[in-house]
Amino acid sequence: MNTNNHATFLTISAYLTGFSETDLLGTGMVDPYYAAIRDNNDPEVLGYFYQEAATILADSHGDEAEINEAIAARLIPDSCYNGIAKTIILLWYTGNYGNDVLSTDSYKEALVWNVAGAHPPGAKQPGYGSWALPPFSV
Amino acid sequence: MKCDEYDVVIVGSGIAGSVMAKTLTRAGKKVLLLEAGLQAGIAMDKEGAYQNYQFYLDTYYKAAAKVPNSPYPNLPDAPSPDVLDIAPIPNSCSPSTKGYLVQAGPIPFASDCYRGPGGTTLHWLGSTPRMLPNDFQMQTKYGVAVDWPFTYYDLMPYYEMAENEIGIAGDVKEQIGPDVEPVKNYGKDYVFPMQKIPQSYLDQTIIEITNGKTVTVELNKKEYTISYVATPQGRNSIPEPAYKYAGVAWNKKTQKLELEKTDAEYDPVGSLWDPYTGQRCEGNSSCVPICPVQAKYNALKTLRTADHDNLDIITQAVASQVLYDKGSMDITGIEYKKYRYGNSPIYEKGIAKGKIYVLAASAIENAKLLLASGIANSSDQVGRNLMDHMVMLTWGLLPKKGFPYRGPGSTTNIPTFRDGDFRKEHAAWISPIDNWGWAWPTFAPGSDVSNAVGQGMFGKQLRDHLSDIIPRQLLLHFECEQLPEPGNRVTIDPRYKDQLGNYRPVIHYNASEYMQRSFEAAKKVSDQLYKAYNVQDFTSYSAQNPDHVQYKGKVYNFAGAGHIVGTHRMGSDSNSSVVNPDQRTWDHGNLYLVGCGNMPTLGTSNPTLTMTALTYKAAEAILKQLEN
Amino acid sequence: MSKFFQKNNPKRQRFVPEDKPDKSLLKGRAMADTAPPDPEEIKKRLLENLQQAIKLEHSTIPPYLCALYSIKDGTNEFAVNTIRSIVVEEMLHMVMAANILNAIGGKPAINTKDFIPGYPTKLPMIDESFIVNLEKFSKASVDIFLQIEKSAEHPEHDGDDYHSIGEFYMAVRRDLIKLNELTNGEIFKGERQPQVTSEQYYGSGGKLIAVYKLEDALEAIDEIVGQGEGIDNTIDDPDQEMFGEDIEYAHYFRFNEIYHGQKYKPTDSVHDDPSGPPVNVDWDAVYNMQLNPKMSDLPEGSPVWQKMYDFNKTYMALLNNIHDACNGQPSLLITGVGLMYDLKYKAIELMKTPFGEEGLMAGPSFEYVQ
Ligand SMILES: Cc1cc2nc3c(=O)[nH]c(=O)nc-3n(C[C@H](O)[C@H](O)[C@H](O)COP(=O)(O)OP(=O)(O)OC[C@H]3O[C@@H](n4cnc5c(N)ncnc54)[C@H](O)[C@@H]3O)c2cc1C
Ligand code: SF4
Repeated sequence: MNTNNHATFLTISAYLTGFSETDLLGTGMVDPYYAAIRDNNDPEVLGYFYQEAATILADSHGDEAEINEAIAARLIPDSCYNGIAKTIILLWYTGNYGNDVLSTDSYKEALVWNVAGAHPPGAKQPGYGSWALPPFSV
Repeated sequence: MKCDEYDVVIVGSGIAGSVMAKTLTRAGKKVLLLEAGLQAGIAMDKEGAYQNYQFYLDTYYKAAAKVPNSPYPNLPDAPSPDVLDIAPIPNSCSPSTKGYLVQAGPIPFASDCYRGPGGTTLHWLGSTPRMLPNDFQMQTKYGVAVDWPFTYYDLMPYYEMAENEIGIAGDVKEQIGPDVEPVKNYGKDYVFPMQKIPQSYLDQTIIEITNGKTVTVELNKKEYTISYVATPQGRNSIPEPAYKYAGVAWNKKTQKLELEKTDAEYDPVGSLWDPYTGQRCEGNSSCVPICPVQAKYNALKTLRTADHDNLDIITQAVASQVLYDKGSMDITGIEYKKYRYGNSPIYEKGIAKGKIYVLAASAIENAKLLLASGIANSSDQVGRNLMDHMVMLTWGLLPKKGFPYRGPGSTTNIPTFRDGDFRKEHAAWISPIDNWGWAWPTFAPGSDVSNAVGQGMFGKQLRDHLSDIIPRQLLLHFECEQLPEPGNRVTIDPRYKDQLGNYRPVIHYNASEYMQRSFEAAKKVSDQLYKAYNVQDFTSYSAQNPDHVQYKGKVYNFAGAGHIVGTHRMGSDSNSSVVNPDQRTWDHGNLYLVGCGNMPTLGTSNPTLTMTALTYKAAEAILKQLEN
Repeated sequence: MSKFFQKNNPKRQRFVPEDKPDKSLLKGRAMADTAPPDPEEIKKRLLENLQQAIKLEHSTIPPYLCALYSIKDGTNEFAVNTIRSIVVEEMLHMVMAANILNAIGGKPAINTKDFIPGYPTKLPMIDESFIVNLEKFSKASVDIFLQIEKSAEHPEHDGDDYHSIGEFYMAVRRDLIKLNELTNGEIFKGERQPQVTSEQYYGSGGKLIAVYKLEDALEAIDEIVGQGEGIDNTIDDPDQEMFGEDIEYAHYFRFNEIYHGQKYKPTDSVHDDPSGPPVNVDWDAVYNMQLNPKMSDLPEGSPVWQKMYDFNKTYMALLNNIHDACNGQPSLLITGVGLMYDLKYKAIELMKTPFGEEGLMAGPSFEYVQ
């Protein structure tokens, strides 16, 4: 494992998804997603992607607005790095890589359910009668 | 057990077959059950049932499209119809043959079912409203379709049996609407086995959105007041202390099935593998296609409590032909093909023999088997009058968050248009409020994510956007009652057979003007509701969708409800119906048909409760016949 | 038809003898025979002891939950099902102890700071021979669970503490009988409203007994002790099959099956280890949770600290919920179930979150916060 890229993956994932690094770690999906991105992309393009992401993170010294601006300009456009940034976002939010569910765990940890105030259908059930109340997170 | 001749041979282990098997075996009859699906699926021991069900669940998690059949094996030897196979039909000479059903059109039939142990209740939703008294008299009251050969009130005791066996949660007092009053429709003091499933926060949001002001809508110059009813349903909740029935039993003396009384509190039936799992609905929000804890009723729960000392089950046995004696017209056996693995063409033939035969293979399959065997069809009604609820969906964004994607698929319905004089002109409908956002029509929320990301959103902006729109999603169903029409039918054609050489059903299907008018009417009602609720309408229909109609220049889409009904209708005379009021075929003294195929009309209720009531009626008739 | 598993196995309770021989009752401080039977004093002691009983039942729950939640999803199915059902039964015991306390006019206190043990800890009221931790599922932790549920095998002894949960409850049982006798049954108020009833309980064996009179209270105690220890050494009936698919047996034996990776077979004796078919126990499919984590291990406000804090807030919400439910609003327990699930998902998130040292994971700390 390339520890630099791994660290960059986690940090840039946090900016791409809007979730904190701790939240992402708590899903247990950092390693499998890192591996999925590694295994499904041209290593050269991916290398440039991580380089660019690391540069963005280093140059802006944690200034969020600046980082977001740079991400929007240099990672998000489809012309950049085969759309890896979008793939990463979709992976985190839906657990799908392309049209495929990556794994049982990725299905259960998809962030979209969290932002919806819900839970993945068929998993993490919230208990009898929970649906009659607003979600606890609200 | 293993004997040469059983009292009764049953085909199919869905709710119809399982209720039949349980009732007969408990009355001491020897029963053989033929089931087309895999052996693993019928496991009744803890370990086997658990392992098999976990396999279904895992398949579901990993399925890209989580359609009703996604958790379950689809076998070339006993294929299931699947909604993923719905495709445009170029013209009637070239049907769509993508899936198991051969769709001759003009529009594709939109529902599926599951051919495997436990049948379609594995992926049903479990909504169980009763039909209305007027539903039994469509010809008399409204001059359309046909009357049933008996009234709602004749069926009442059997409804109570069905509600006991399925284990209904609901509040009788809250059952209101056109043609429904608690005492009139349910009898004084009647209660369901379990208290009502709590209505969702989304339901409450909608009910309260007009701040106590009642909502009225206008249709054909008539005003209707919108009301809301907590839907009775077959999933576990808190036992109702006042419920005092134990179960259904055969009373030899009176020659009747009876509900036995008890002082014990009703005990919700848990999962197959652990009686303590699933004693309450836990809000998994995946009832269709699979309830992980089996809090939702499925037919295997019934089959498990049959008297297994009197029951033999042969699985991987696809009934292919019903044999009969040309002289007496009595059925002499059921030929089945027992395959070795679900996808190998190797099979052995067998013949199941009994005194009485019951087909419980679901409406389409029952009709196909009859046609393939050339029996029971002196009325020429076999296969005809295929019906479904044609479900028009409308969707929009609520002004505030109702937090869908939580809880059972639907907990509340709007009964306002279930009955009325308009049934002379167009279909009646029931409107369940859907608890699962826009998932059905748009594949939300996954599609919401990809749309937003496609627009370049990321980070906090993306997160805020999604947490604003997804919790505000509203989806309403307008489940329109299709009438029996002879041209909507199941046929067979030697050109279309499956891997074992069994006929595939050929479906002819269309939406009549009666249905089209109801789409128009329902859309008008939806528009007025959205206005009253202050909901931003996002409904969009497309002629690209194979299931569309164009009426007065406008396109409407509909979906199937899974309510496959009417292919071997029951009636009071042998010229116009396939079975008599006992659900015995007019043509064969020892052949009974059970399942939704018997229903002369559909009403606006989900059909399974009514069909189960009918199945008890048939079981009673069979017991009488066996004992005389 | 009876081939299938029967619920609420009555045999299990029958393992507890109805008439305890006096000898075994003459132990511990509740039995001071010399003291005159002063109803006020007995009542005071009972109120205290029943509050302790609630505390005692609760104190086993966080350790069991840590073990349960540390098991990785999809593994150790047998252990997961066993521990899950035992935890549900512990909650049942806690609520039944509260029912008894309510029945004699007490007020359960479930959300106070001193209600929550600081782990590592010894069990309230029970002697000091073992320490209970918040720790991951392991052979060592299951060994401690076995000690928690162990049946009374101790010689007579002096001192205030009891040697086993069973012994403690026997003392409570005796006091209840005595007090009922001295007050002509008046001590039981018979009030319906504060009682949590079976409506609110599901998900495992046993039944929730609402307590209106002495017999109810005794039945509740037998249920609690029956499920935990299940068997008294004085009973050894070689003709009675103690184990099997259809028989629900006590916690001790169920933990013992996990410990040995083997089920009991019907002919096994309660004195021996299980010798039936093996069950799969994977001691490695476990999150490497830090032993007895504490919020104070971390800088206040740091992201993982915040997660632990969130967990503890949910835990407090749950205790508040149970407190209110046991103080006159039983129907609130329905919401409690939702909080339980929320607690679980938060705990599992912690177990996936790295904690300081390489390879260690955070975990639920079950601390009082406000
Ligand atoms: C998505 C969906 C949701 C639904 N929701 C509801 C609802 O909320 N409320 C409601 O009332 N209804 C609902 N339904 C309808 C309900 O599921 C069916 O009405 C009911 O399950 C039919 O039961 P059955 O026993 O007649 O047939 P099935 O359950 O379809 O069982 C037929 C059985 O026969 C077997 N079989 C088939 N062919 C052969 C053969 N040739 N040889 C041997 N065995 C064979 C099959 O394997 C199966 O076991 C829903 C349906 C769907 C698809
Ligand atoms: S909501 Fe969940 S637990 Fe309840 S019936 Fe549906 S799937 Fe089962």
